Amino acid sequence: MLSRSAAGLYWMGRYLERASHLSRLLRQQTESLADSPPRDIYFGWHRIYGALDREPLSGALELDSDDLFALVDSFALADDLTFEPTNPDSIRSCFAQGRENARQMRHHISAEMWTCLNQSHLRLQDMEMQDIWVRSPENFYAETAAEIDTFRGVTSSTLYRDDAWHFVQLGNYIERVQLSASLLMAQISAVHLFEIPADAYWTSLLRHYYAFEAYNRASSAAIDPDRVLGLLVTNPQLPDSLSLSVAELCTELAAIGPGPDTEATARTRSQAEYLRQLVGIEWPGGADGHALLGKIDVGCRQLHDLVTKTYFDYPVLAPDQGRAGRHDQ
Amino acid sequence: MNFDSYDLDPAVFDEMFGADGTPHPHCEDLYDTLGSMSSADLSAIGEWVTRSFTNEGITFTVYGDDEETERIIPIDSVPRVMSAAEWGDLTAGLKQRLSALNRFLEDIYSEARIIADGVIPADMVRDCPQYRLEMRGFKAPHGVWVAVCGTDLVRTNEGFRVLEDNLRVPSGVSYMLAIRKATKSAHRLLYRLSGVRDIENYGLILAQTLRELAPEGRSDPTMALLTPGIYNSAFYEHMFLARQIGADLVEGRDLLVEDGYVYMRTTSGLKRVDVIYRRVDDDFLDPLVFRPDSLLGVPGLLHAARLGNVSLVNAPGTGVADDKSVYAFVPDMIRYYLGEEPLIHNVETYLCRRPEDLEYTLDNLERLVVKRVGESGGYGMLIGPHSTAEERNEFAALLRADPADYISQPTLALSRAPCLIEGRLEPRHVDLRPFILTGAETRIVPGAFCRIALRRGSLVVNSSQGGGGKDFWVLDD
Repeated sequence: MLSRSAAGLYWMGRYLERASHLSRLLRQQTESLADSPPRDIYFGWHRIYGALDREPLSGALELDSDDLFALVDSFALADDLTFEPTNPDSIRSCFAQGRENARQMRHHISAEMWTCLNQSHLRLQDMEMQDIWVRSPENFYAETAAEIDTFRGVTSSTLYRDDAWHFVQLGNYIERVQLSASLLMAQISAVHLFEIPADAYWTSLLRHYYAFEAYNRASSAAIDPDRVLGLLVTNPQLPDSLSLSVAELCTELAAIGPGPDTEATARTRSQAEYLRQLVGIEWPGGADGHALLGKIDVGCRQLHDLVTKTYFDYPVLAPDQGRAGRHDQ
Repeated sequence: MNFDSYDLDPAVFDEMFGADGTPHPHCEDLYDTLGSMSSADLSAIGEWVTRSFTNEGITFTVYGDDEETERIIPIDSVPRVMSAAEWGDLTAGLKQRLSALNRFLEDIYSEARIIADGVIPADMVRDCPQYRLEMRGFKAPHGVWVAVCGTDLVRTNEGFRVLEDNLRVPSGVSYMLAIRKATKSAHRLLYRLSGVRDIENYGLILAQTLRELAPEGRSDPTMALLTPGIYNSAFYEHMFLARQIGADLVEGRDLLVEDGYVYMRTTSGLKRVDVIYRRVDDDFLDPLVFRPDSLLGVPGLLHAARLGNVSLVNAPGTGVADDKSVYAFVPDMIRYYLGEEPLIHNVETYLCRRPEDLEYTLDNLERLVVKRVGESGGYGMLIGPHSTAEERNEFAALLRADPADYISQPTLALSRAPCLIEGRLEPRHVDLRPFILTGAETRIVPGAFCRIALRRGSLVVNSSQGGGGKDFWVLDD
């Protein structure tokens, strides 16, 4: 497959996963506006901004115990994360970039995929925060996440299982692992910052991962932060756990043929295996848990660099360095 | 009922109605169908066709002052219909014309017999900016310089005329196919009853044509479509065609030339490319030969093509044959190379490089269309009857300053066809761009991109200038 096409599909997968992740986070956050105390609302914003490693446009977040201010701040913060054109990680920016990658690679994806994505893009294009805020922002985020899920379903039903498929999935899982590692680290940091422990901080995290019921089934006891984190990191049956995401990532990478440089290919696959080892160890908890998430985060970024160098942007050998990597049909 | 306010002009051929106001025999089904529909139903169909284009993102790109925007080409949902007999006559003429044009290109880049024999002036060819000295001695596969041609045809009361031969990177075929898909769905019963000839196999025929032009010994060639990239106004078409022919859509940066072979960068290493359907203009194709500042091309590409290791479709240098001055000599080319009379005539053309033609043009500016030789897309032209005195004075000065850069033609009464305008059927001027493919043989799918001038009375059909498109149906016998 053409390297640039593979890169475009890979990035399409990454951007749409990013949009999905943020939509789900914001859905939870806006749901909490109806009945959560201001402290919990600010916790949620801290967690989101910490996970994205971003400062709000309006400056650093400060706890305000006034209900009204919590809502006003929330409007501005949600707008920053949803429609702000200068925020490359806003939902609309991610959608636009995912769609732009798809537009450039339309000849590799199915017509159904394109139409599905384009319709979502058109829906988002002319919206403003005010439009969704006066009705039901949580519904908007739920619909947006559902549209991405629909796109994934259409992709699964219509896309030929060649390298195009594998690179879309690879981008999707690398992004998911990276976002999850960041979110879990942000969760731990925000809990420390807010000092007073609250079950709501953890149940909302479980709900983000569709893991609340699974947690209750596995642990009938009350909320225990380390058990929550252990489930989200190491459980291989939970769809969005780090463990399952890394396993899927390794599967996709194995399905992609070797790059032109056998050593680079081996390094990339080794890095994926290294990540598999990290998410497979028993959750250590405490400071070690945070350190482990840090290693997963860094390891995933390194894997991205290796994928790029192995398949998309590898050096072309000069003629006198042999003809490795060339193939005739 | 829907045609109650449809006005006929005896000076203009109407694609649906004869001079007596009754529909042409091959248009009767369409007439009956449209006539029996309510205005609301007609509008609903029009909206559905437009919406299907919006949802599928069938766009072209327009560049404003500081940003580009994707636009949907305005689509008219009422098809234009042609009989099998008329289409048969047209295709014979189109094949004849392309055959002569390919012979001309082969000739002028080798022996130049047509110049030596005094059929066409040497300076007409060699002073043309599209004449590429670098292509002298080049051997096009099977003598096919132009494998993909989009010929612009217009119809008047005197019959069809060729307005322009597009021999470089003709576009519009994706619209032909996309408009067909939407219109067929909107008028499915009529489509079925009418016996409309199919055009869906265009992609297969194009792929077959490209394969036939592959370098010798490459029986299962790797094909690529070379695009300038996402910012090109025709990017949608490039993507669409790459998909249709199963080729990789590549940019210059994806390709490199080594030891006279062209390779593309794939995830498993460099892979040899045999046929490049290039949609990049000559100037930008190879910075070692043409514009050195080009970032869109591939250094060494022409060298690889000269060695016969890669086939470029269309070959560089073909623009000399669709130059607006050289156009005037195409009928002579047909007689010279084929020994036949042209089956489709040219529009009468005055070459302002000739003093008598310049004088005639200056004396009749208010009646003529004046075109700059090197321009296209409806730019750089004066439509005399629609011009102001100030515009005519401006063009007169331009003509006197550089007469060789201009031609003039009589203003044609382009035929009109019914279009749905704000819920009513009104006549609008149309032209026709069929696509002719030449590999081991010449093939034409029974269809065309039919362009329409949407503004009442306007003759400008270019999409960049407010024109639109509609489906074109060729019926079975």
